[in-house]
Amino acid sequence: MTGYVGGLVFGLSGGMVIALAALFGVWWERKVAGRIQMRLGPTEIGPAGVFQALADTIKLLLKEDITPRQADKKLFRVAPFLVFTPIAMSLVVIPFANGWAPLDTSVGMLFYLAVPAVSVIGILIAGFSSGNTYATLGGIRGAAQMISYELPRTLSVLAIAILAGTLAPVEVMARYEWWWFPVSLLGFIVFFISSVAELNRAPFNIPEADSELVAGYFADYSGIRWAIFMMSEYGGIVATSYFGAAIFLGGSQGIGGVLGVLLIFLKAILLITVIIWVGWTFPRFRSDQLLTLAWKVLTPMALVQIVIVGVIIPWL
Amino acid sequence: MNASSIDRITSDAGEVDAVTLKITERTKKIATDGTPVDELVVNVGPSHPSTHGVCRVITHVDGEIVTKAEPVIGYLHRGVEKIAENRTYLQVVPLTDRLDYVGSMYTNWAYSRSVERLAGIRVPERAEYLRVITCEMQRMASHMMSLGSTSGDSGATTAFIYSFDIRERVIEFFEDLCGSRLTYNYVRPGGVSMEVPDGWFDDILAWLPIARQSLSELDRLFFGNHIARGRLKGIGVLSAEDAVSWGASGPVARGSGVNWDLRKHDTYSVYPRFDFDVPIGSNGDAYDRARCRLFEVYESMRIIEQAIEQIEPGPIKADGIPRLIAPRPGDAYDHIESARGSLGVYLVSDGSPRPYRMKVRSPAFCNLALLPMLAEGHTLSDLVIVLGSLDPVFGEVDR
Amino acid sequence: MAVRSNDGSGAPPNGHIGALEHESDSVLLHINVSDEDRGGVGGFVDSWKSVFAGMKITAVRAMGPTKTVQYPHEKYAVSPRWRGALALKGVLGRDEIPIIRDESPVYNAVIRDLYDRERLPPCVGNCPANVDARGQNYYLAEGMTAEAYELVRERNIMPGVLGRICHHPCESACRRNYYDEPMAIRPLHRFAYEEYADVREERVKVFEQTRDQQVAVIGSGPSGLAAAFDLMALGYRVVVYEKERAPGGALFSGVPSYRLPRDVLSTEINGLVDMGLDLRVGIEIGKDVPIDHLLGEFDAVLIAGGLQTSRIIPVPGHDADGVRGALDFLKDANWKGDAGVKGKRVLVIGGGNVAVDVARCALRTGATEVRLACLEGDDEMPCHPWEIEEAVDEGVIAMCSMGPHEVLTTDGVVSGMKMRECLSVFDEMGRFAPNYGEDYAEVECETVVFATGTAPVLHDLVAGSDLVLNERGILPVDGTLFTTVMPNVFACGEVVTGPGSAIGSIATGHEAATSIHRYLSGASLSENRTDRPVPVYENYQPARLDGVEESRKRVKMPMARPEDRRKDFRQVETGFTHLEAVNEAARCLRCQSEVCVGCTFCARTCPDYAIQVQRVDDPGQRAITRYDLDLSKCSFCGLCAEQCPTNALTHTGQYELSFFHRDLMVFDHDEMLRDCGGTRATGADAHTQADAEEAS
Repeated sequence: MTGYVGGLVFGLSGGMVIALAALFGVWWERKVAGRIQMRLGPTEIGPAGVFQALADTIKLLLKEDITPRQADKKLFRVAPFLVFTPIAMSLVVIPFANGWAPLDTSVGMLFYLAVPAVSVIGILIAGFSSGNTYATLGGIRGAAQMISYELPRTLSVLAIAILAGTLAPVEVMARYEWWWFPVSLLGFIVFFISSVAELNRAPFNIPEADSELVAGYFADYSGIRWAIFMMSEYGGIVATSYFGAAIFLGGSQGIGGVLGVLLIFLKAILLITVIIWVGWTFPRFRSDQLLTLAWKVLTPMALVQIVIVGVIIPWL
Repeated sequence: MNASSIDRITSDAGEVDAVTLKITERTKKIATDGTPVDELVVNVGPSHPSTHGVCRVITHVDGEIVTKAEPVIGYLHRGVEKIAENRTYLQVVPLTDRLDYVGSMYTNWAYSRSVERLAGIRVPERAEYLRVITCEMQRMASHMMSLGSTSGDSGATTAFIYSFDIRERVIEFFEDLCGSRLTYNYVRPGGVSMEVPDGWFDDILAWLPIARQSLSELDRLFFGNHIARGRLKGIGVLSAEDAVSWGASGPVARGSGVNWDLRKHDTYSVYPRFDFDVPIGSNGDAYDRARCRLFEVYESMRIIEQAIEQIEPGPIKADGIPRLIAPRPGDAYDHIESARGSLGVYLVSDGSPRPYRMKVRSPAFCNLALLPMLAEGHTLSDLVIVLGSLDPVFGEVDR
Repeated sequence: MAVRSNDGSGAPPNGHIGALEHESDSVLLHINVSDEDRGGVGGFVDSWKSVFAGMKITAVRAMGPTKTVQYPHEKYAVSPRWRGALALKGVLGRDEIPIIRDESPVYNAVIRDLYDRERLPPCVGNCPANVDARGQNYYLAEGMTAEAYELVRERNIMPGVLGRICHHPCESACRRNYYDEPMAIRPLHRFAYEEYADVREERVKVFEQTRDQQVAVIGSGPSGLAAAFDLMALGYRVVVYEKERAPGGALFSGVPSYRLPRDVLSTEINGLVDMGLDLRVGIEIGKDVPIDHLLGEFDAVLIAGGLQTSRIIPVPGHDADGVRGALDFLKDANWKGDAGVKGKRVLVIGGGNVAVDVARCALRTGATEVRLACLEGDDEMPCHPWEIEEAVDEGVIAMCSMGPHEVLTTDGVVSGMKMRECLSVFDEMGRFAPNYGEDYAEVECETVVFATGTAPVLHDLVAGSDLVLNERGILPVDGTLFTTVMPNVFACGEVVTGPGSAIGSIATGHEAATSIHRYLSGASLSENRTDRPVPVYENYQPARLDGVEESRKRVKMPMARPEDRRKDFRQVETGFTHLEAVNEAARCLRCQSEVCVGCTFCARTCPDYAIQVQRVDDPGQRAITRYDLDLSKCSFCGLCAEQCPTNALTHTGQYELSFFHRDLMVFDHDEMLRDCGGTRATGADAHTQADAEEAS
């Protein structure tokens, strides 16, 4: 019984965290993108428009939840949650403070790499169930892309795991040393790029591809279901950034308390900003180019990284 | 494939509207027929972010590969040529604004040249210079639109905004000049409608170096980018022979290495007085077409600078043009190099103050005809790139 | 051709890709836009470099200024060029048109100011003396003929005279030319004169002499009288000396009476005398009275002597009996009514207006055959086209492209003329350089009249003063200020300008009067003296009247039949009736008056048919009854405002018009006359009014 209550409390608070992360992420993205495009971004609601995303969310909640007639209704309705849940679950292993993660497990890194990948099923279902050619193509593209990027992403994290000798992110953060960063730089780049691809963010937003597939797999979604896709995207960005900050950048680096929380937060913000910056700078890849990049560039790079670490380890 | 295997996939434009794809139904079809259905019809448009207006492309895809792309046009048909028969010669000018709404100055000018040829009107030199200056600025604006949408189609929204930044400034200049931002109604039979405001030329000359700088920045950001080059190169390759035989003109033909620019080869107005080059591509792909436009913007800037240097005070309208032009019976054709290619207007007069017939030779229409040939064999993502590289404006295509 | 960088600034436009390829060619210089990626490791490095270069560019832009316009906080200032909703400045029946009327010394400045503000009607601008024809038409249409006459007389001195003989540059400039036919401005001058006869006695206004300075004017031609009129109006005492027995100068001795009845001339000059002019006829300065005497007695002297003698081309036989000068001939015909050509054949040499006058006079004095030979082709004759047209109607035989070669004589008496073909008159530079061909023709005639130029005779006049003539017998005069070498002597009229029009002479008279006034009041002569603004409105193509709309055509001036008019010196044009004149005056477009006259040109040119205009034309209550603009149709093309001859229809900066009721989109003229405040988006303004209407 306690388990159920605890799970409920934990799930709700996780949902709130993701919602807050999405609100902040949307606002931050619009501000950064605005500046890049010589605009101001949102300015009207709240100081510097910070509550714009909240207002948009309220609007989305109030909008009609449309299910297209030709859609497979059950799958169509359930798909957003299939995308959202794995992303939300991945947040439990993120070390938000020094020595603390909601779920401090010894296989945290594996958990983080494995669980969000399940959301590809949700994307596929969303695409197919919409009964729309654009959405179908988007779903297929999304599946192909996410599966191929799992490999370099996992391999890149492996280097750190070898260096730290553990799979628990909290432990990695505790054992982090400054020279890990130059040594694992290659891996970090591979991790970063493949994470962006995993999140379907520009320049890898091929499943959405607003100029080709209009909005890809969520073209037919509206209202709150669309907002859930949106939240899972931003939740994913936040999770990836925190994870990258913890694993590759040392997280809070052994500093406890509020300062440590602030430090890892700042590092995560830095990564979020870079994701946004990259996304608003480059054109989109084509599907075949994306796969070429994954198999011909990123995977070899990740393997080279493992070799580098493997060579260094005996000298320690 | 067996076309009867799935009733929705048919080339008949009328039926494709009903294309729906239900996985269950589809699997059933395969199961009962035993024929593999490997083609999907994607109805791109008429309302789609990358069709640059209201074009509909019925696209058959095999996976991602386009096997057939069939443009359906006419959604923006307003019967301008027919309406013109019921308007006086001056009343037609606002209609021509609405043909090529990205380059209104060109349609104004082509029409005005035809009327002038028909009625034997001589245009004052200052008006010719003003026409050249405004039309070269229009070329900048139009090409920035095209480059912006090419980058937007390939997902680079920021490059899109940067090129629209340049276009916006040109349009602000036009707003200062004639009060309008899109439908200028500026070039008229006999001259131009308004004298330039004070300091207009100085503002342009002061802005051009800034524009060059931001253009070169755009060049590095987009055309220099590895991803963009990968997206554009080798896409929609058009051979020079095909370009000529399909009647392509403008940057589409020049991208394929066809050296054809009416400003040089059937020169008109005061263009012989300017020193400028014609950018020519060699591969005929989307990249070369886009780069042709980019370099033409540089050349336009050179022409503008020279024209502002040479222009002298004088009248801007031919003396004594009656308000009701009624040319002698006969016909006239004249064409100019618009941002999209050879834009011509053919006019027949029966001696009344209204044209007996007007026909617009629209380059965008001729260039759009290349789409099926160029898009086949590429992926769906490249279809929008090919369409964008042809730079169609549907006001002009559909008329 | 040298290979150079593409943008002229030295830097290749693409920093990332290698140098541009330039293909040199003698005619064209092409740029090859294609560039290839490097392969192998180099290409790999390039691709990563391009990634970071792109990120650098966006980062720099992100740090730079933003270009967001925060609407409506940062509102543009309204530009007059913005083509927003339309507004009217005034309408017929509610607003009066401005009358151009000011005293002579500042009149030019007024005209200049109107011209700079684009408020000058083309007819007024094209008239050398800037007669306010628009004001005349306005008064006539409203039935105020006396006011019309007096307004025209301010600048025109003798509306009755100029109403008959003027070459009416105003009508050439009339904006009606663009639509149908020009206004009949000159016949309306004449009509105003004829109507004024009834009230002339009671409306005489004697100019009071308010200054004690005196001015002498030598010559009573149009220019001298114009200067005298201006100076009298300014309060000077003016004495005009005329050497002939009757005043009028060239108007009397040069203009045939079939064009200008002598009673009209005398009525007009008597009118001036009634207003206080001291006119002394029969006194020739230089012969009867030396100019020194005048210089001693008067504070300023104005020489307006005109042209006195004809030039005769020195061809062989030019001194034979029967060869005459045009002025001589006309003077005889005008003074005696007999030029000595009864029953003779006359050949007139020259293609100007004087030559046509001579030819027509010769017909009327009994010549059996009149030929007119000129160097120019029939389409380039210097005379006014209607003159030669009327002359040919009467039986004059025009021989174009013929130059005089030799006068054939028998015993010292003219028996004919040998003519030579003329191929071209002017050279490429536009100078007079006739090019003769090899064809000759002989014309039999008893009298040859040379109308090939006139010259002043000033030797006697200037004798004994400091004035010096140049070697061609011409007095050097400043062309703008009309001053001579002596500070108190001025000159005007054809003495200065050479052969010209009557209205041109009058204009110089006004200018000379201004100079004299400034001289006598001690002001600077040259200050603010700009050249007269003359917009050129020539070479218009006549508009076609058929096909589109029924337009109100010009009222035709009634003319005597050609076979009747060649017999005597009665006037050819018979004048407007009252109704004709009022109708004709009402055709005036009131150009640049900023008052809508309901000409409907805006409605006719609108491509969307958004404008509807109705005008009531009953005399006395002429008004616009309806001016509707449907803004839901309007596409803001601006053709209507451009067509508007009065500039009453203008664009505002008003956009974003949205209304609850669609019929509020139709603006009537009350709405269009309302001041919209000039903001860019004034939906709110319009809304409040609409709401108020709805509430009531």
